[in-house]
Amino acid sequence: MTIDPASLLPLLVLIPLLGALALAILPNRSPVAARGLAMLWSLLTLTASLVLAYQACQPLAHDAPTTYLDTGQLFFQSALPWIDAFGLQFAFGIDAISLWLILLSTALTPLVILGSVSAVNDRVKEFHVWLLLLEAAMIGTFVASDLIFFYICFEFTLIPLYFLIGIFGSTQRLKAAKVFFLYTFTGSMLTFAGVLYVAWFNAAHTGVWSFSIAQLVQAAQAMSAQQQTFVLLALLAGFAVKVPLFPVHTWLPLAHTEAPTAGSVILAGVLLKLGTYGLLRFALPMTPIATVAFAPYIGAFAVAGILYTALICWVQKDVKKLIAYSSVSHLGFCVLGMFALNDIGASGAVMYMINHGLSTGALFLCIGMIYERFHTREMARMGGLARVIPIWAFFMVFFCLASVGLPGLNGFVGEFLTLLGAFNSHDVLGIGYAAVAGLGMILAAIYILYMVGKIVFGPVLIPQHDTHDDPHPTPAASSHPHVPDLNAREIITLTPLAVGCLLLGLFPTPLLQTLEAPIATLLRPTGLVLADRADELTNADTTTLIVIDPTDRWDNRHPQQLVPPSSHEPPKPQPLFH
Amino acid sequence: MTLHTASWIPWLPALAAVLCGLCCIYRPLRILAAPICILSILAAFVITCCTYSNIVDTDPHATAHVVKLFTWISVAGFSADMAYYLDPLTMIMLIVVTGVGTLVAIYAAGYMAGDRGYARFFAAVSLFIFAMTTLVMADNLLLLYLGWEGVGLCSYLLIGFYYQKPSAVAAAKKAFIVNRIGDLGFALGIMLTYQQFGTIQYAPLFEILNTQSPSTASTAVQVIPFLLMLGAFGKSAQLPLYVWLPDAMEGPTPVSALIHAATMVTAGVYMIARLFPLFELSPYALPTVACVGAATALFAGTIALCQYDIKRIYAYSTISQLGYMFLGLGVLSTTGAMFHLFTHAFFKALLFLTAGSVMHSLAGQLDLRHMSGMRRKMPVTCWLMFAGCLALAGFPFTAGFYSKDTILADTLAKGLNEHNRLYILLAVVGLVTAFLTAFYTFRLWFRVFMGPTKYDMGDEHAHAHAAQEAHPPGHSDITVEHHHDAHEVNWLMNAPLVVLATGALLAGYLAHNWLPELVLNSSATPAHLGAQHAAEHQTTLFGIDLHLAMMIISSGIAVLGIATAAYYHWLNRPAADRVAAQWPSLVRILANKYYVDEFNNRVIVEPLRLLGYLCFVFDRLVIDGIVNLVGFIPSLFGLAIRPTQRGNLQGYGLGMATGTAVLVLIVLVAYA
Repeated sequence: MTIDPASLLPLLVLIPLLGALALAILPNRSPVAARGLAMLWSLLTLTASLVLAYQACQPLAHDAPTTYLDTGQLFFQSALPWIDAFGLQFAFGIDAISLWLILLSTALTPLVILGSVSAVNDRVKEFHVWLLLLEAAMIGTFVASDLIFFYICFEFTLIPLYFLIGIFGSTQRLKAAKVFFLYTFTGSMLTFAGVLYVAWFNAAHTGVWSFSIAQLVQAAQAMSAQQQTFVLLALLAGFAVKVPLFPVHTWLPLAHTEAPTAGSVILAGVLLKLGTYGLLRFALPMTPIATVAFAPYIGAFAVAGILYTALICWVQKDVKKLIAYSSVSHLGFCVLGMFALNDIGASGAVMYMINHGLSTGALFLCIGMIYERFHTREMARMGGLARVIPIWAFFMVFFCLASVGLPGLNGFVGEFLTLLGAFNSHDVLGIGYAAVAGLGMILAAIYILYMVGKIVFGPVLIPQHDTHDDPHPTPAASSHPHVPDLNAREIITLTPLAVGCLLLGLFPTPLLQTLEAPIATLLRPTGLVLADRADELTNADTTTLIVIDPTDRWDNRHPQQLVPPSSHEPPKPQPLFH
Repeated sequence: MTLHTASWIPWLPALAAVLCGLCCIYRPLRILAAPICILSILAAFVITCCTYSNIVDTDPHATAHVVKLFTWISVAGFSADMAYYLDPLTMIMLIVVTGVGTLVAIYAAGYMAGDRGYARFFAAVSLFIFAMTTLVMADNLLLLYLGWEGVGLCSYLLIGFYYQKPSAVAAAKKAFIVNRIGDLGFALGIMLTYQQFGTIQYAPLFEILNTQSPSTASTAVQVIPFLLMLGAFGKSAQLPLYVWLPDAMEGPTPVSALIHAATMVTAGVYMIARLFPLFELSPYALPTVACVGAATALFAGTIALCQYDIKRIYAYSTISQLGYMFLGLGVLSTTGAMFHLFTHAFFKALLFLTAGSVMHSLAGQLDLRHMSGMRRKMPVTCWLMFAGCLALAGFPFTAGFYSKDTILADTLAKGLNEHNRLYILLAVVGLVTAFLTAFYTFRLWFRVFMGPTKYDMGDEHAHAHAAQEAHPPGHSDITVEHHHDAHEVNWLMNAPLVVLATGALLAGYLAHNWLPELVLNSSATPAHLGAQHAAEHQTTLFGIDLHLAMMIISSGIAVLGIATAAYYHWLNRPAADRVAAQWPSLVRILANKYYVDEFNNRVIVEPLRLLGYLCFVFDRLVIDGIVNLVGFIPSLFGLAIRPTQRGNLQGYGLGMATGTAVLVLIVLVAYA
């Protein structure tokens, strides 16, 4: 039995799903068994994703120089029928961008399971069921090439996380879970409306319902500027909340602070990327006219968010909240690079997604380890931990440096490329955006070093009353023998992330090269709009102000036949194994 | 040996950093950290020398060689390779970095002995050598930036080496953040360079630059030097970004010698010299550099007059000497600037390390007021520091004399040739600073080593950490017992100092023909040097050749400065106090360093932090408030319809009927 690479995509969703199911019906109540089984399934998923990556690097045809990754189109496409009346399919297909994000998700999940071994002692089985379900949903969003399928997975991620926060979180967990759920759900309802609008538009013009992403992208491009604006705003409502983009970010600090470590890691590592991924995959190609018109404003919000949240980070007292706010600041860079609408900026943005997943995920793990030891995250109550738990301190400082964008580590590559993209996008953003966003680099150094100076360095200060190991307060700070440094399991959890940060910092080129083709595809529509605008400017040269003309239609400028999907080589349902 | 061997220069210390890191983890291996570090830097130095003979000796007018290691970042037309650019300018810097690096590492092996963070120290030093050699060998601006931030990181880690001292942590943080401010300018400069020229690699960049002149360069191109300059001012501690360097003295003394005197802080000078063609495209860039340099030299020189902490005096003196280097760059005297960089590395490293010896012997005592007549206790250190002081003061025929004179003479020559009063003024400022330098240098030396022997031991020491580790804090008096009286340091520490002292005395004479030629064979050659050189040799001052005249003047000034210091701080110390008492407010301002730190705190740091609080409050009250308000509306709905959900069966029936009716109505309307 040989596995067709295309069948790997459904498998990738199925494996964690089956794993969750198997775990759920597992009669054995021992936590060890649950952990072991969950670990096994997540490792299986990781293996499958690595096989997928290997297959993607294979040449298209025998002896052909190009690989699947170089095509810039979705590959490994397959589909299972769902509701034919509405053209709904479980359609699969990936490109390099989704492949990297799949790898990020499948790599983070086993690490998170490993990292939660001592943190979760209650309802262990349930915890891992939710975690595997979450993984399935995350992978689902990245492999989907049907919009409804994508949307369902996108929304479904909320449910496992809702329970992870609500059951396994800190004191305010119920409020946090509710706010998180309602906030993001409300946003994505509007997105759903926008998607339906595009689908209706497509059906009205072609007479056939379809939710294929390729078809809907084509359809949306045929909309008028005004219609595109509505669609863009609808997409933004869901995705910007998810990113989260200033000023719709307030759910994130609460959710992060209350979530268990595993939840925070997955939330920061992957779930936030669903927002940026959605913007890149849908907003940019679907609504090019509106995107070009709105990019400066979105860029302005991104820049404002970078600075605003960076300043907020600086006055935090809870170290986890500080990292949570810093996520908002970081993702501002990501959005800024994306809406620079050039290949450097967009590559930087994708790179940023992966980097942020690694370094911020790792920071949450580090903080989780501290919380397990001290049961507090208040910076005022701890200090000088480098003396007490030096190995932890090493990792903490390392990931802080990655997060602050030290060249040679991964964060720098994404940060520099997004800024360079913004800097060079003359007709959309420009130098001013990059220069002001660059202040974020300084502020990032300020708040990260403020935190490092408080907890890693300085005089030794160990939180006294809350330590479970030590009910009697210790008299002097120097006698602190019972705070154990990282054990082997914790080191194994953090090491792959550290290695990833270093490798991506020194050898980002293989990753960046694979991104070129898909990003060129995604940016083509906006590129055409920009080229048109440049032509108009040089021809007319009367005004530099761009006004959206409601009658200005994409298809007026680029006459093309909007065709029903049937004549467009629909992906045929394929058997999984043959 | 091929040139490819040169790519080992940064990576051997990088490997050493990893190995030292492993030594950190496993205690018994700790003792190996110093040999690993020293050997790696020494190996890098040997490779440097071999590469030097390959590059320079075979062909004195050779152009640059590029050795590519691998592709670092390459995306969508933008590329930055891990590649090394080897030309004479690189070689000068490499010799300084690896040469002084080796000597300081040997010294540190003795100085840091017994410290708790012994292996950590050498790991950071190795990492620093990796970053610094990458910085000077980089073949493109982004790799330069990697080294640039990398040395900043090592500086952060080493300033904060005694991380349990809050002042050290604060100083480390300050250094990193102030450098980041400059780095932002640098990063924007790199982006603008890429935007304007489409490349950030030196070789293609210089080719394009050769075809441009100040009159043809666009405004954007002329802005680039100003952005890059900001980075240089941050890293090389010039006005207004110098504030971090004096505080950086919290680090162990070998670090102050290596990073904060000899190598890292000269990176800004190197960068401007390297990108000189770019700076020449703007008619205002180099004059700005010259003015900032001269102003910094004078400013820091005055502060050094009234400080009492030995290391801080040297720190301000470093800032002041870096100012000279920038002045040299600004007046197109890249040879002078690089020459001064070269000689300064020797004598300033020597001065810091001898200060370290004093500190080592006096249990951390650094205050001038608490030591006197130490020459009887530490004769070797005394005369080693004397050699360094002579060089710093610019005493005739020492290293500092030659290089400082080159810069001042070139400044004056430019002023006289172009009839530009600005440069004449800058030359005068330079001379005044030279007097101050000679005075404060020997004020320190006479205070420490001359006069009656009298000293107080310090209360802390590098060893205090180790001692505290070994004994519970209640018995910290054991620490004091550990240290006997002030003593001469051992020869492991003094041997490298002898080499440095030889350099401080002789490097100027030995290098004054060799080094300028190297500089002029690199990208640091000013475009219009030929004409200037010709004119300069005709310039005379009082009827004698300008260079000779300047030598005579500056010798006189140096001797005058030393003599004044000798009178006030050796022969007649009460007189110094009487003079100080006459201008109490001036002394207070100088002693408080013009209150710049206080000013920055009030005007920048505190308002920014206040802004942070305001943003946080805004976030919680306004933004979150709006969200909660929006979230409250549905529950208002719920309140409104709650009465209908009371389990009242008739009520539900009514609701159902109404609902059905409405649905039917909608269907009818829709299909009507």
